[in-house]
Parts: sequence; structure tokens; C-alpha cells
Amino acid sequence: MNNFVQLVRNEWMKLLNQKATWIMAAILVLLVIASGVLFKIDDTATGVDAPTGDNWKQELQEQNEQLQKQEVGDIQYPGYRNVEENQYRIENDIKPTSYNAWDFVRQSRVFVALVSLFTIIVAAGITANEFRWGTIKLLLIRPISRSKILFAKYVSVLTYAWAMLVVLFVLSFIVGISLFGLDGMTEVYVYAQDGVYQQADIFSFTVSQYVLSSVELIMMATFAFMIAAVFRNTSLAIGLSIFLMMAGSSIVVFFMNKDWAKYILFANTDLNQFIEGTPMFSGITIGFSITILAVYYIVFMVVSWVFFTKRDVAGA
Amino acid sequence: MSEAVMQLKNVSKTIGKKEIIKGLDFNIYSGEVFGFLGPNGAGKTTTIRMMVGLMKMSDGDIIIKGHSVNEDFKQAICHVGGIVENPEMYPFMSGWKNLVHYSRMMPDITKERIHEVVQLVGLENRIKEKAGKYSLGMRQRLGIAQALLHKPSVLILDEPTNGLDPSGIREIRAYIRKLASEEGVAVIVSSHILSEMEMMCDRIGIIKSGELISIQTVQDALQETEEKEVSIEAVPVDVTMTALKDITGKSVTREQDILTFAVEREKIPGVVSKLVHKGVHIYSINVNRSTLEDKFLDLIGEGSIE
Ligand SMILES: Nc1ncnc2c1ncn2[C@@H]1O[C@H](COP(=O)(O)OP(=O)(O)OP(=O)(O)O)[C@@H](O)[C@H]1O
Ligand SMILES: [Mg+2]
Repeated sequence: MNNFVQLVRNEWMKLLNQKATWIMAAILVLLVIASGVLFKIDDTATGVDAPTGDNWKQELQEQNEQLQKQEVGDIQYPGYRNVEENQYRIENDIKPTSYNAWDFVRQSRVFVALVSLFTIIVAAGITANEFRWGTIKLLLIRPISRSKILFAKYVSVLTYAWAMLVVLFVLSFIVGISLFGLDGMTEVYVYAQDGVYQQADIFSFTVSQYVLSSVELIMMATFAFMIAAVFRNTSLAIGLSIFLMMAGSSIVVFFMNKDWAKYILFANTDLNQFIEGTPMFSGITIGFSITILAVYYIVFMVVSWVFFTKRDVAGA
Repeated sequence: MSEAVMQLKNVSKTIGKKEIIKGLDFNIYSGEVFGFLGPNGAGKTTTIRMMVGLMKMSDGDIIIKGHSVNEDFKQAICHVGGIVENPEMYPFMSGWKNLVHYSRMMPDITKERIHEVVQLVGLENRIKEKAGKYSLGMRQRLGIAQALLHKPSVLILDEPTNGLDPSGIREIRAYIRKLASEEGVAVIVSSHILSEMEMMCDRIGIIKSGELISIQTVQDALQETEEKEVSIEAVPVDVTMTALKDITGKSVTREQDILTFAVEREKIPGVVSKLVHKGVHIYSINVNRSTLEDKFLDLIGEGSIE
């Protein structure tokens, strides 16, 4: 076990000594800051005002009546157009909050796609690059099993992904606080699940959204890891994985009316659909999706392992 | 003879339908430098890859210090250090970090030990530089350093002098000899250049088309009493010819202006000074191929690549 930690340290040393790692981190940081600045300047993106005065219930009530009369022309709070949500707030005494750091953190979740992209690049390179550099020959002639070396590489990819997600979350929070302020660490978040309004604590809700978003990230990174272990080619692994990540939802839509469409990986990677919004296929549950994901995951891992441990290192 | 640290037993490799290595059977002993000689494509690298577990054997086994590479890879490889083909390093890390990287993969290697090997290969002034900036010679040294970190009993070097300049080659050669004689390490070097092998090896295994053709013991290259064939170009030819016959007491053959005769190595300087004394102008003098070289070329057939 002890030398497993050493192997992970080695992988991190190699990552941190490569310029690409730092460039990717810098891109993420700059984009988060830039999007914050953009939201600050262009406040239509942030939903402008919220009825936060003492008589907010009355104001929301009036707005609801206005909305029901279809007088959409000049309503006071464009961010609160949903009659049912407003009603839910009034009934449950949940006062709206103005756009703040939490809203920014939730919006920054779009950058998880960028973290996925970077993780794919790392996952593809971590084995295939050793073949490209020829260093695989020095790596595998040590008293350590190939399985352990492969697993240490995989764990390094996961820790990289988590590290980047933490950076994204914390940075968004800091940028959010400095640009939009914070109403408090606790706030009640109102959202619809399958058409029914519910409430949750903003912190745990946001964290679980990030965690669920990382499911697709990890599946795609594992896929890239497998392609790299099989073909020993970095560009192929990166290209194929990114292509599938981009085309994933189109593939599902294309086969939508087939019976087996719900077994496609990409029909199940977005677990957020079970929390907020409406699932893509009626009748599939979170349990079903997790089972499908587990099957794909095991296949990816077993294939990576078989090819990495059983095949000769001949050409490198 | 001393202990056999590595035993090859009917080692074979078939890729597709092609039998690349055909039942190699030989031992390597501690303290010796074993040369693995063969033309391009003979199967040297393939054999070395099997020794270090990068390729699986199709048949047979390799035993290193009593541990089978097939059955007990970890124990077997503990005793081996090596470079397979080129000394490949992480170009974006310093030489030092490259060594730290490999040191973490083996038990009980201290910082002091890393310093020690760095000094051993004479890289101490450049070790903090990125390996990508190293010259080929420096990369070879770094490669040897990583191979020696864990004090292996067997050191395997595939074409260690590849791309080195003459002084680099001389250094590596001296270094390999020192390791074998002082530390008792068994060193396996591969090459397709005989003259180089003759200078550093105790025994040479000649391989061709995946078959071990013969194993030769190299006599000390500087053995004084061995008779050498010497060619000399000098004028006037007639005077030289008579003089040579007198000095050596043996027959001298003439081919145009080149005279060839046999003499013990230690007597060569004497012959030359006597010729000079007789007023002969010497333009060139060569010690011809040794017997081993003749054998090698006979065995493999000159210039034939499989
Ligand atoms: N992965 C492979 N697949 C098929 N044939 C291979 C493979 N690797 C090597 N060979 C063949 O095996 C033979 C031996 O190759 P090897 O690299 O061991 O030769 P070598 O003695 O090291 O030659 P060189 O002096 O050029 O380095 C060659 O004929 C080569 O074409
Ligand atoms: Mg070779």
C-alpha cells in the first residue's frame, strides 16, 4: 500500500511538471473570473432585481395576478415569472434573494464541461504518453505489478478531476462573493422536480449538483483512459472521447424511439435530471441509470486492465 | 566459475507466425561483462525485453538469482537494472526528479543513494537541469544512473554506446568494466559492433536470426604474446621485405606495396624501430582483424541483415 501512495505521488509530480497542466488550470480560472465580470456588467443575465423588501409577498402576489392576465409587457421582477414558484414562495414564506454568490456558483456549473475536457486530456495522456515518450520501458521494469501501476494512474486521474472541481467551486464562490456579495451561508433554494416545487438548503443542493455533474466527467475520463490503454495513443483517446462527449446527447436523440435507447451511456450520464428538471426517458429511475453506468464503468475498467497488463511492450 | 546470476532456459518468442527467438540457452555469471552480439534484427532487443518482463516468452523461462521471470516477476526484477534501447527520460523534469521518480518505485532508496549514483556517472553539475536539454551522452549517463539506483546484480544495457562520441564510448566502457570487477555486477551489453564488444566483454554470445550461434571467450585484448597479423606500407618495398624477413624470421607476403607478416603484439614497436633504422619510410601500419572478428564475420556473413 505504501508504494501505491508513492506511485500516485509520481503521477502528480509528472502532472505538475508539465506546462499543459498549468495552462489548463489557468484557462479555468480566467474563464470563471471573466464570466463573473460579464454577469456583473450585463445584469440581464442575473435576473436584475428581486422583491426583497418587507412587503415582498404582496409584490409577488401582484406580479402573479399580472402574469395570469397575460400582461407580460412591463412586469417589475423579470426573474420571477413563474407563477407556481412565486406561489410556492408565498405559501412557504421563502423570501426571494437578490443575485448573489450562490447563484453564481450554481451557474458556474457549466464549467464542469471544461473540467471534463481537461480530465479527458489527462486521462488519455497518463498512460499513452508513457508509450509516446518511451518511458514505459523504465516504468514497467520495477518490482511493482502492472495492475498497481495502472490503478495508481487511474486514481491520479480521479484526484485530478476532484481537485479541478474543488478549484472551480471554491473559485466561483470567491469570485461570486467579491462581485455579487453573499446574503448568508444558509439560504433556501426553490426548484422544480418533475413539475413539483420543492425547497432545499442552497449549500448542500449546490454541492450535490456538482457531485452529480462529475458522474459524466468520470465516465468520459474512464472511457478515455481505456482507449489510451488499448491503443496507446494519446490523440486517438482524446479525440474519440471529446467527440463522444459532444455528440452524446445527439446520439441519444437520434435513437430516441428505439427500445434500447435508454441503455445508451449518454441517456444515463446526467443524474441531475432526476433532481431538477424532467428525465429524458419516462420510466427510467435513478436506480436504473446507476446500474447502467456501473455496467459501462466495469467494462471500461476491465478492458483497460486486460490490455495494459497482458500485452507486450514491443514497439515503444 | 562464479555464480550464475541469470539463466536463460530455452527462451523462445513467436510473434504471429514468425519465430523471432529460437530457444536461447545460456548463463550469465556475476562479475562478468557479457556481450550480446548480432547484426540488426538478430533479436537482441527482443531477448532483452523478455529478460526485463516487457515481453512475455512464448516458451522457456529466465531465472534471475533463483527467481523465475515468468512465475515470480517482482522478486526476479528486483535484481535487475537496465536500459532498453534508448535511455528515455521525462524531458520536462530535471535529471534529479527523474531519478526521484524511479527511486520511489523501489524499496529503501535514500536521497544519499541518489546523490551517490549521480556522482558515479558524473552528472552532478547538470542534474538540476531539465532532462530534455541533455545531450545523448548525458541521457545515457542518466539512464545508467537510474539503472544502478537499487544496486542490481545484473545490469542490462541495450546498445549503451549508441550515439556516443569516442571519448564517451571509452568512459562507458571503463565504467562497465569497473562495475563488473569491483562491484561484482553481471553486465549484459548488446551491440552489433564487434570491435567495441571485444574491448569491454569477457564473453560474447553471437546471435543471428534469433539463434545463438556461439559463445566466445574474449582473450585479453592486450594479451602480449598473441600473434597478430600486421600490414605495413613502406618504401622502398624490397628493402622492407628483406628486413622484415630477417627480423621476424617468418614469411612475408606482398600485395602491391603492402606487406603482411605475423608477429607478437609486444614485438611490434621493435620491428618498427628496426625498419626506421634501416632508412625505410613507413606510411602506414595496421594490425589486422583478430581471429574473433574473422569468426564473427564467417558466422553471420558480412553485412547480411535479416
Ligand atoms: N513487435 C514485433 N512484431 C513483429 N516482429 C517484431 C516485433 N519486434 C521485433 N520484431 C522482429 O524481430 C526481429 C528481432 O528484432 P530486434 O529488435 O530484437 O533486433 P535487434 O537484434 O535488437 O536489432 P538492432 O541491432 O537493429 O537493434 C526483427 O526481425 C524484427 O523485425
Ligand atoms: Mg535492438
